[in-house]
Amino acid sequence: MKASSHKYLPLFVAEANEQLEALGSDLVRLEKEDPEPALWDSIFRRVHSVKGSAATLGFTGIVDIAHRAEDLVGRMKALAAKPSRGQIDLLFEASDTLLTEVRRVSADPGAAGPAPPALVAKLSQAAQALPDPSAPAHASHKPLEPAAVAVDPALPRLEISVVLMKSCAAPGARALIVQRKLKALGTLVEMDPLPAQLMSQRGGAAISASLASDKPLDEVRKALAGLPEVESVEVRSAGSARTTSSPPPPAAPAPELAAVMQAAPVIEAEELRPEPTVRVRALALDQLLDQAAEVLHGIARLREAAKRLPENVGGAFEAEVDRLRRTARDLHGRVMNARLTPFSALTERLPRAVRDLSHRLGKEVDLDVQGADVELDRNVIEAMGDPLSHLVRNAIDHGLEDPKTREAAGKPARGKLTLSARRERDKVVVDVADDGAGLDADRLRKKAVATSAMSEEAAAALSENEVFELAFLPGVSTRETATDVSGRGVGLDAVQRAVEALGGTIRIRSTAGKGATFSVELPINVSMANLLLVQVGGELYGIPLHRVLLTTEYDLNARGGEGFEARSLVVLGQLVRAYALAKLFGLPSLLPPGPRPFVVMELDGVLFALSVDRLVGQEEAVLKPLFPPLDRVRGLAGVTVLGNGRPLLVLDPRGIAELAGINEPVRASKGAA
Amino acid sequence: MPKRVLIVDDALFMRNTLRDIFAGAGFQVAGEADDGVQAVNLFRELKPDLVTMDIVMPYKSGIDATREIVQLDPNAVVVMCSALGQESLVMEAIEAGATDFIVKPFRGEDVLAVVKKVLGE
Repeated sequence: MKASSHKYLPLFVAEANEQLEALGSDLVRLEKEDPEPALWDSIFRRVHSVKGSAATLGFTGIVDIAHRAEDLVGRMKALAAKPSRGQIDLLFEASDTLLTEVRRVSADPGAAGPAPPALVAKLSQAAQALPDPSAPAHASHKPLEPAAVAVDPALPRLEISVVLMKSCAAPGARALIVQRKLKALGTLVEMDPLPAQLMSQRGGAAISASLASDKPLDEVRKALAGLPEVESVEVRSAGSARTTSSPPPPAAPAPELAAVMQAAPVIEAEELRPEPTVRVRALALDQLLDQAAEVLHGIARLREAAKRLPENVGGAFEAEVDRLRRTARDLHGRVMNARLTPFSALTERLPRAVRDLSHRLGKEVDLDVQGADVELDRNVIEAMGDPLSHLVRNAIDHGLEDPKTREAAGKPARGKLTLSARRERDKVVVDVADDGAGLDADRLRKKAVATSAMSEEAAAALSENEVFELAFLPGVSTRETATDVSGRGVGLDAVQRAVEALGGTIRIRSTAGKGATFSVELPINVSMANLLLVQVGGELYGIPLHRVLLTTEYDLNARGGEGFEARSLVVLGQLVRAYALAKLFGLPSLLPPGPRPFVVMELDGVLFALSVDRLVGQEEAVLKPLFPPLDRVRGLAGVTVLGNGRPLLVLDPRGIAELAGINEPVRASKGAA
Repeated sequence: MPKRVLIVDDALFMRNTLRDIFAGAGFQVAGEADDGVQAVNLFRELKPDLVTMDIVMPYKSGIDATREIVQLDPNAVVVMCSALGQESLVMEAIEAGATDFIVKPFRGEDVLAVVKKVLGE
């Protein structure tokens, strides 16, 4: 089968990726724990699964590596000893190479190459250094103890020779089938070679056997020739003239009895098994969700229209529409639930990443994942991949100390990194906690002042907890020297932005010398976001309602101060900075001078107001991530599709605040006008 | 009446590949299972003419599933699908009652040749 044209190549790639990532986690466990048979089985199964599918696609390089790794795993398992560091590293190397190869063929199936000879050699050497578990098993396949076979001397003897095809891939197994067939035809007196002796041999085989049977030669010949992979059969009579009837071969147990005997354990096993599942394309679920939302919008419009109906029909119509709406809401909820993905989807690859990173930094880290089965919407899971990795890298790079420093501080040499997810009502709280040094409050203060985010006095006035919030300011959490670990110019501000784009929040708790916890609160669903629709420069925009404190109308010009970009208005007895949304986005405002509507928003305790051309209304919508190049526009959080099918850009309040230059953090800006 | 097949394999890739082979040869794919437990349950429910059984699977191996299926129906036709280098497991499966076996990588015609022989066609 030509791989490049195989229609299931993407499926192979997806499954292999999944198996190999899980293999990485298994190997980390193997390194840490005294391996149990179940862990060995899991490792073996994953390698084996990749091998089987790759073989079907003709990816011989992958098959070769997997085959040798599998052999090594099989022997290590049989040995039941704790594997050495070298053995584990070798398995990691094999796992990585497999992943690389799978990715290579994913990009270009024609690029499939042979297995790296060095790796193959190392795997073979490592395997051969261990005893072969299948070797002693051969004995169990020796079925014939000639002395024990009672042969009726009255039965005719048949001399049989069976030649197996050269292409036969498992002659031992094939010979076992031949042997079983022979036993069904009579009493097998002799067989040479025995099935076990043919194991692992390639290129066909010739088997000779002696059978005591009163079956006609032709029937015996046909029965054997009917077996797969049998090239030729010869059956000759070897004398012994008399023909008497022999007792029939023992019958298999009656099916009813067998079924009864078997019933109990089967049911038991059934309970252990999770619900059957099917694989659904993620895109299909996205479309389902969109359409379920569409149905809800349609029903909302129907309800509006119904208000204009005459009373006598309107009532009944509205009742029906309400019923429909309940069903549609239920449907929408179910689609949301179908999209739920366990937290483990995010943590699966972490053990490996943590191991590699901590080794590289000369630190020792125990990763503990809790609540792996807590579920979140697929979109949330996807969007949290990078931020979570960042927090983990951050904890290992900056939080946890090296073993010497830890021991000097009276702590265990191995650092502890705990990732936990727990459900709290309609939220999921994900904590990334380390028992490292904690955040350095003084450094944060200095950094905030240095990036001119705030004055020295303001920084000094911050309470301990407020100081930690500084870590989320752009430029503050980025290291002076961008290490390739958690530098990369990505700071905690990016993490916070990602979390908030999902409608979540992130907080820091930290105790000097004891460690830090980043606590991320996430919505379980990307449920319908409530949006305030506003019009600016002839276009509609959505503003997340949870950030909107109130809307008001105000004439800034009436107060004078013409020409300022940022002025202020009084809201709830407080002076609030005001900005023109049109100016921030460089759009023309279509409104003549005079009173105009303002949206007053709240962010981290700071109020600010945005002037718009018109307040249009509210709408429930499913927020979707922006696609390039829009994802690089500051001030945008996502896009959604309105009931009328038109796309709507949704604003990101934090990005807007940054655009406007409200970058003084938290309480420091209070009263600024 | 087309022969009815139950395909058992934990890799969707392999199930799809086998499904295409069988569907293309006029078989009816009566069901698919991705582990041994489901295989036994589906066998009981569907009574297929033929089962293709992967060996290495979660929850219950193909060997154990075969043993149970053959106890449910001694005439059950179970063809093991094994990867190269699994000969001793295949032999174990044969002793557990598997009718025959095919070795991955296989071509469609290899599968059909074995299957037609064991079904006596």
